[in-house]
Amino acid sequence: MTKKAYIIGSGSISPQNTIDENWFFEKINPVHIDFFSALEPSYKEHIAPNMLRRMGRAIKMGVTAANMAVVDAKVQNVDAIISGTGLGCFEDSEKFLLAIINNKEQFLTPTSFIQSTHNTVGSQIALIMKCYDYNFTYVHRGFSFETCVMDALMQMEEGKQTILIGGIEEHTPMYVELLRRSKKFSSNNSHQYYEGKTKGIQMGEGSTFFVLSDTKKNACSCIEGISFSYKPKSTEEILSAITNLLKTHQTSLEKIDVVLMGFSGDQQFDNYLLELLPQVSKTSATAHFKQLCGEYHTAGAFGTWVANKIIEKQNVPEAIKINSLTKSTINTVLIINAYMGINYSFTLLSKC
Amino acid sequence: MDALIEKLKGQIIEQLNLVEVKPADIKPDAPLFGEGLGLDSIDALELIVLLEKHYGIKIQNPADGKKIFESVRTMAEFIKSNGKD
Repeated sequence: MTKKAYIIGSGSISPQNTIDENWFFEKINPVHIDFFSALEPSYKEHIAPNMLRRMGRAIKMGVTAANMAVVDAKVQNVDAIISGTGLGCFEDSEKFLLAIINNKEQFLTPTSFIQSTHNTVGSQIALIMKCYDYNFTYVHRGFSFETCVMDALMQMEEGKQTILIGGIEEHTPMYVELLRRSKKFSSNNSHQYYEGKTKGIQMGEGSTFFVLSDTKKNACSCIEGISFSYKPKSTEEILSAITNLLKTHQTSLEKIDVVLMGFSGDQQFDNYLLELLPQVSKTSATAHFKQLCGEYHTAGAFGTWVANKIIEKQNVPEAIKINSLTKSTINTVLIINAYMGINYSFTLLSKC
Repeated sequence: MDALIEKLKGQIIEQLNLVEVKPADIKPDAPLFGEGLGLDSIDALELIVLLEKHYGIKIQNPADGKKIFESVRTMAEFIKSNGKD
């Protein structure tokens, strides 16, 4: 793919104060016990009350983050809406299933069923924006958001000019409880995931959207390219995938200014990334982001938001730094993200 | 009848998740659809389930729905006429 996707607007609802457009890691919210909850805005300012009353949290977060991105981009409409979610609208799915059980399969109402499907967020955004063009939702677990990026790049090759993409994930009390029982959770005292001493993950949630354009105007950064690796068998396999991506874009690992790591936070899942870290730390400023948002299927969208901010501000905030290496100009950021040691993705962003 | 109307208002608010609406905001004779509460076709299905779940009444003829769901009072009258209050 030769087209670049220029980021002209973004919006994020996360466990950090990203709803404040001026926030840049000044104050970090700590993890809530063993999971992160999103700091949600007043939805009334973004969604009409008659629509709001039917929406679960994932829909509210998705629609609002999308609206924030569109406002930030100062566009009236887009040519495509591409959403990604690993688990979809979990709250409504739970409601509907519980109603089936509690009412002995009778008296089932339509609202939570209608709102429970994975593509509800994308369709609600389309209804509000009156965007009846290409609309797709990817439900590829740990690759959900990254597949949106890849599709957006392909859609631009096909001639689309402005595309809204984003990732959405919510947790519910029941989901948190199930994860606790599976013993995948941990209240890590340390968020220094890169030291490889932490056990268990800290689940997170959030929604992050971007407006991508095929032209540079009003953009600080652009997505050059993306590639994936599913259940790689070695660090070398990951390194090979990264090298191939960078080669395609006429660069190499040594030339990357900032490497942004997406550790899961559990040493058993992070071993390949931990092995990779000394190599990337030699020549690049390194940072990590999941200690701010927690682990979830579409955390890569939050990582992309962080990378975009780093390029925009030309600064790697102290709160996310791994090494002390600094660059006078940040031209490139490589995101190396992994969802629980299964889904590895590599995204290259550059300064416009 | 008044007690049934008040009870119905609370059930409608709960069933339709009308978080901003209080029972006093619903006028017994105000239209439920279009104007008034501004309900739509999905809400109509929710109200059908409400009648069945709380009062054991099934609407046999869908054409009657428009008249039954005209207002809270018409709903209450329908419940009363079916001897289920």
